[in-house]
Amino acid sequence: MIGVLKSELFKLRTTRATKIVVLSAVLLPAIIFTLTCIFAFSNGEVGDSLISMVGNFAPLTGLLLGVVGVLCSTQEYSQGTIRITLVATPSRLKVHIAKLLTILVVSVVSAALMLLLCLLPAQLILSTRNVAFVTISTDLRILFSVVILSALLSVLGLSLGLIFKSSPGAISALLIWPTILEGMVFGLLSLAFKDSNVIRFAPIQGNGFQLVSPFFNPGQNTWLTSLVYFSGFICVFIALGLTLFSRRDA
Amino acid sequence: MIVVENLTKSYGSKKAVDDLSFSVIPGRITGFLGPNGSGKSTTMRCMLGLDKPDAGITTFDGRKYADIESPLAHVGSLLDAGDAHKGRTARNHLRWIAMTNGISASRVDAVLQMVGMEDTARTKVGKFSLGMRQRLGLAVALLGDPKVVILDEPANGLDPEGIRWTREVMRHLADEGRSVLVSSHQLVELSLVADDLVVIGQGKLISSGPIAQFMTQHAKTWVQVVSPQFDALAALVTAQGGTVELTKDGGDFHAISAITVGEIAAANNIVLHELSPQTGSLEQAFLDATDASVEYRGQTTTNVWEAPKP
Repeated sequence: MIGVLKSELFKLRTTRATKIVVLSAVLLPAIIFTLTCIFAFSNGEVGDSLISMVGNFAPLTGLLLGVVGVLCSTQEYSQGTIRITLVATPSRLKVHIAKLLTILVVSVVSAALMLLLCLLPAQLILSTRNVAFVTISTDLRILFSVVILSALLSVLGLSLGLIFKSSPGAISALLIWPTILEGMVFGLLSLAFKDSNVIRFAPIQGNGFQLVSPFFNPGQNTWLTSLVYFSGFICVFIALGLTLFSRRDA
Repeated sequence: MIVVENLTKSYGSKKAVDDLSFSVIPGRITGFLGPNGSGKSTTMRCMLGLDKPDAGITTFDGRKYADIESPLAHVGSLLDAGDAHKGRTARNHLRWIAMTNGISASRVDAVLQMVGMEDTARTKVGKFSLGMRQRLGLAVALLGDPKVVILDEPANGLDPEGIRWTREVMRHLADEGRSVLVSSHQLVELSLVADDLVVIGQGKLISSGPIAQFMTQHAKTWVQVVSPQFDALAALVTAQGGTVELTKDGGDFHAISAITVGEIAAANNIVLHELSPQTGSLEQAFLDATDASVEYRGQTTTNVWEAPKP
């Protein structure tokens, strides 16, 4: 199993597309946040919670790491290496677990790195300008949630990749569902049921992205409920991906 | 030793492989032949667990492929030379495969040297010609120093030197006691290297056994004769049940042995300039054996190839 894990990690490390997307997931929020800190805050100003501001980048990082998950599975099919992977490791369950663990490790490390690269330069810049930032009680939970959201979205990407077997289909589903379709579908449902809180049933917008929110309004799911709901949603895709991966001819 | 028993695989209503059974003996090269779409590649994929057969089983030294621990050390395979990420270097391609089975990096370098790719080890696969990719595919097959080697069209895209090298590699592997199963459309090549043949058509077994047995069963034989008294000899041979086909230098006698023709000539004082038994090529024998099971036939008639007249 260790060999298969090392191999999966090596595969991710040795393709340009995955390296570029991982770097984007880490550096893009860091650059934008650093620039924001440079241009937005003046001497002596009192700012918001730094951590809750960084939390706003979690969906971007998470979705980009989801794309890495997609590439982790679809590149195998598009390049034909899936046959060699399964010849070298006939147990498809073992291959699936190795891919899951690999993408989890990559996304957790990337998300942690993103937080670090956002917060450290920001602290440095703002402390030299005497900008005071508040800390709120949910800061630690937000930090934790950024990592969890990234990890779960990357696993969703991997599963979508195994279901679609092609990057365009899987990436489209990963990006269009949470950013466009989910809002439309649940907006329509809220009209149909005359309930403005239907969005709490939206798996990604209403629960996944909600994890990094500093506050939860009444009518919304609690943090724990959101986490369980969103994890359950991801588990369905993991199961579907594994079932199709196990049954399909390579 | 590879044993394939009653392998059956369907795609929808089409049976790609139909109750196929054969074995591949250690120390021998077994050629796997069949027309396009006959089920060769499907059979190989089913053998390696890539496609799930509807029925039947394949064992490698008594074990199913899925049950072999470190399978690359037992079975090496080359199914498609294109099965490599174009953005990875040759060495990195081999390294990730090696990692899965705990094969050392030094073995990676050794097989790259074996296939003559040590100078291109750090070149990306996307820059390789088809021949280079075939060599890389062979390197993958040999990575685990396997006891069984399965190669699907290994000489595809190789230059003459590469083809001869592939032939020598296969012979070397067989001489070391390994079982070698190789599918190829290059029948001349295969006739030079194979010891046994497995011939399939429309997923069914047509013939299995030593190449000489296949030739005896399926290759045409005739007697080539050159004689100044050919017409007289032809009349006598026809009377004995033989058939005659005229050629530029003389004629060919069918359905009669060279011994009988010689005896007829001697008994009738007929001068012979040439009397030689002939056997058809492996290609002709293969075409004759699989004629009834060819699914995809090209057209060469002029009405198809001629451009429509305005």
